Amino acid sequence: MRLPADGANVRETVESATLLALAAVLGYAEHVLLPPLGVPGVRLGLANIVIVVALYRLGPQSALTITLGRVLVVGIATGTLAGPTGVMSFAGAASAWAAMAFLSRYTERFSVIGWSVAGSAAHVAAQLGVAALVTGSPSVLHMLGPGLLLSLPPGLAIGFLARSILSRISRPALSAIEG
Amino acid sequence: MTRGDHFLVTLVAIAGLAVIALGVLAPDSSGVTIVGPNGTSRVSARTDGTHVVAGRAGEVVVTVREGQVRIVRSSCPDQICVRSGALRAGAPLVCAPNGVAVVTSTERGGLDAVAR
Repeated sequence: MRLPADGANVRETVESATLLALAAVLGYAEHVLLPPLGVPGVRLGLANIVIVVALYRLGPQSALTITLGRVLVVGIATGTLAGPTGVMSFAGAASAWAAMAFLSRYTERFSVIGWSVAGSAAHVAAQLGVAALVTGSPSVLHMLGPGLLLSLPPGLAIGFLARSILSRISRPALSAIEG
Repeated sequence: MTRGDHFLVTLVAIAGLAVIALGVLAPDSSGVTIVGPNGTSRVSARTDGTHVVAGRAGEVVVTVREGQVRIVRSSCPDQICVRSGALRAGAPLVCAPNGVAVVTSTERGGLDAVAR
């Protein structure tokens, strides 16, 4: 028996919603439980595990929706949506998505680990760029050096975790009755 | 990891080290510039004092003690600026939520006048 054409769309919508909720929970938990690492924009980025998984399984558009939705939900929950902090969060998340989405087009050259490293570096660079604009002082960009170096361990860790998760996710149950 | 992944990691590491090297090569100075939403002020790191800056989300308190400049109190939630320690050339103190930055600045050197 073959499912109607929109069955796959239903599955993708449900999966997107689930991943958005997971990303929001991870982002909020990290904000509450883990302190920042000393440079604006440098965090462990647990929610990025979900973004990488979403990018791999659902594509760039769904990953962008989940990214922006996560920033919105966590920003509201933590009271940081308005003002410079909110702008920095959106800039960092959007830049990370853009870097990862670009690399995802070249799967023969870059794995999800590379996506995550690029996303982490882009996140830090974008947040420091916004911080420089907000303060009106380009000297803030001197923190870019330590920020880029500090972005490597979380980027690698998140990439390896995402790869491990993706290797263990089973095919959806619906696919068993398709065709 | 693919070769492309290794290339990316190397690229990010080199970029980070390059930016740090550029900051280290920057000239040292004893002047300090405090940039805030309401304007900019210059202070000397040689003169002890406390400077309260009105930020976007509250106050940021900058102290100068024995040549060291620090942010000792801020209204921001993460307190990154307070934990950053003393101001160093190439390592500004930044409180992004308040829109405040404390940076080193080049003071005019030399003699202003010579009495004969």
